[in-house]
Amino acid sequence: MSSVLSLNKTQPHWLVFGLLALGLALLPFLVDAGLGRSWVRLLDLALLYVMLALGLNIVVGYAGLLDLGYVAFYALGAYVYAWLASPHFGLHLPFWAILPLGAGLAGLFGVLLGTPTLRLRGDYLAIVTLGFGEIVRIFMNNLNTPVNLTNGPQGINLIDPVRLGGVSLSQPHTLFGFTFSGVHLTYYLFLLLTLAVIFISMRLENSRIGRAWVAIREDEIAAAATGINTRNLKLLAFAMGATFGGLAGGLFASFQGFISPESFNLMESIMILCMIVLGGMGHIPGVIFGALLLTLLPEALRYTGDWQRNLFGQIYVDPADLRMLLFGLALVAVMLYRPAGLIPSARRRQEFADAKG
Amino acid sequence: MSAPKVGNLLSSKLDAELTPLLTVSAVSKAFGGLQALSDISLQVHAGEIFGLIGPNGAGKTTLFNALTGLYSIDRGEIRLNDARLDGRPPHQVLQAGLARTFQNIRLFAEMTALENVLVGRHARTTSGVVGAVLRLPGTRREEADSHERAHALLRRVGIAQHADRLAKNLPYGDQRRLEIARALATEPSLLALDEPAAGMNKVERAALRELLLQLQADGLTLLLIEHDVKLVMGLCTRLAVLDYGVKIAEGTPDVVSRDPKVIAAYLGDEAI
Repeated sequence: MSSVLSLNKTQPHWLVFGLLALGLALLPFLVDAGLGRSWVRLLDLALLYVMLALGLNIVVGYAGLLDLGYVAFYALGAYVYAWLASPHFGLHLPFWAILPLGAGLAGLFGVLLGTPTLRLRGDYLAIVTLGFGEIVRIFMNNLNTPVNLTNGPQGINLIDPVRLGGVSLSQPHTLFGFTFSGVHLTYYLFLLLTLAVIFISMRLENSRIGRAWVAIREDEIAAAATGINTRNLKLLAFAMGATFGGLAGGLFASFQGFISPESFNLMESIMILCMIVLGGMGHIPGVIFGALLLTLLPEALRYTGDWQRNLFGQIYVDPADLRMLLFGLALVAVMLYRPAGLIPSARRRQEFADAKG
Repeated sequence: MSAPKVGNLLSSKLDAELTPLLTVSAVSKAFGGLQALSDISLQVHAGEIFGLIGPNGAGKTTLFNALTGLYSIDRGEIRLNDARLDGRPPHQVLQAGLARTFQNIRLFAEMTALENVLVGRHARTTSGVVGAVLRLPGTRREEADSHERAHALLRRVGIAQHADRLAKNLPYGDQRRLEIARALATEPSLLALDEPAAGMNKVERAALRELLLQLQADGLTLLLIEHDVKLVMGLCTRLAVLDYGVKIAEGTPDVVSRDPKVIAAYLGDEAI
């Protein structure tokens, strides 16, 4: 096997793009017909996780900063949306105004939380960011007194659904003789934003900024000695990641109509990190695949309950337990057999090929 | 017509030799109770290859780290041309024109050789997030220019064939060359090389020597830490010798090699 590898990407044919676009456009209808409405909803959620995972991928995958408190920015985006579009404060600002605001504020918090961690690396950084994540969650849990900001553990209810140009995504709409349900319309909105996040990630990866991030990940001292302002670029990575997190948070709040601190616990941060590790760290297709897999697979495993009942007449293993068991096994298997992730980047593939050959 | 030209050339060369590029004045650095550098002063003139030698632990690499902003210094002053370097972070030192390589090669292992050199362009380019995402005309021009320069540098140090290989998979000697190419991409006025010939075989050493002389001929000033005495003596215009953090000698290779203090430091006091 030749160890020389070209990282030049061949341009895919426009036909491939066309088919992909058509497939993505028809997907919710196929899923609806084949698996039911609840799976379309799940598809929406999966797209949210793709955005989240791509955001964290900038911090962890590119810049190599192990951030275990990423969910804090997700929470922030969600709460900003809830505050400005729910009866909680009686504010009902339009969707297009809140979403950038929440994302921007999350980005700002990314810089604020990133600043004190600049000198930390590896395990220490992970512990401190984990602490930040928990601090934000605990704040949300307790900020119902003296001023009721977050409504505490009860969370904020009746959050406005997305309304764009007079079209509310909570009701079905008929267009060109087709009836689009709310979850279908949400799918298209989320898909559009996910594509934007993918596009931004791709452009950044192959840029001066992206190379500087990877250089910092590979060797921070050499990066500094090669002229990279490591402080600013690490903060930029935190800010970019947090912005995507805040964006996903705002969408989540509008999608669910209800948020509470419980949705933003440590497990959530770890799940998003697992999506990246499982799919292929620093590699956009891998991260997308990891996010889709970890969102959809657990739901698919719920069916095992029905199978058990049909086969044995009773349920021996609770599907929820089985889910975590299989999930754990899958992670162990990936670490053993595909340590670079299920869809590793070309450079990582080469690295492992060279190590074998 | 041609006579004054030659005269000009000669006088400009003489001027160049006398222009101090790097001025280190009374620099001291201690780690706890260990005085790693004591009152080190030296001047590197534009266009020369200045050697820094001394036994292991003499403080050569410490001085490099102090020069390049990786260590802060306790006392003294470091100037490149007229710019103060001491107290500035590494990326600003590099921006001022002092690039370096490392004793234990520090490449970006999982980036290709080309990408490593492209990272070297970072300090001389400006495009940011918006330019990258929208691929603005200015960014595109800058990227094209960076790629062109990076390829040219890889050819120059003789590893163009490895452009798309991961840095970590390059042969040892070529990794050293890649590190030099990355440093050159930052357009330095002074290049500091920390034991560039370490671990190289005879052929690789000869090629390295050739490369360094070429760089000097192109107007680059070199500061060199090296253990290979033969290489140093043949290459350097002047030398400084460190021992236990003190500069014990400075001068042309001829003078330094006859200095009794230098002989004592290298061979032990009993040898004299």
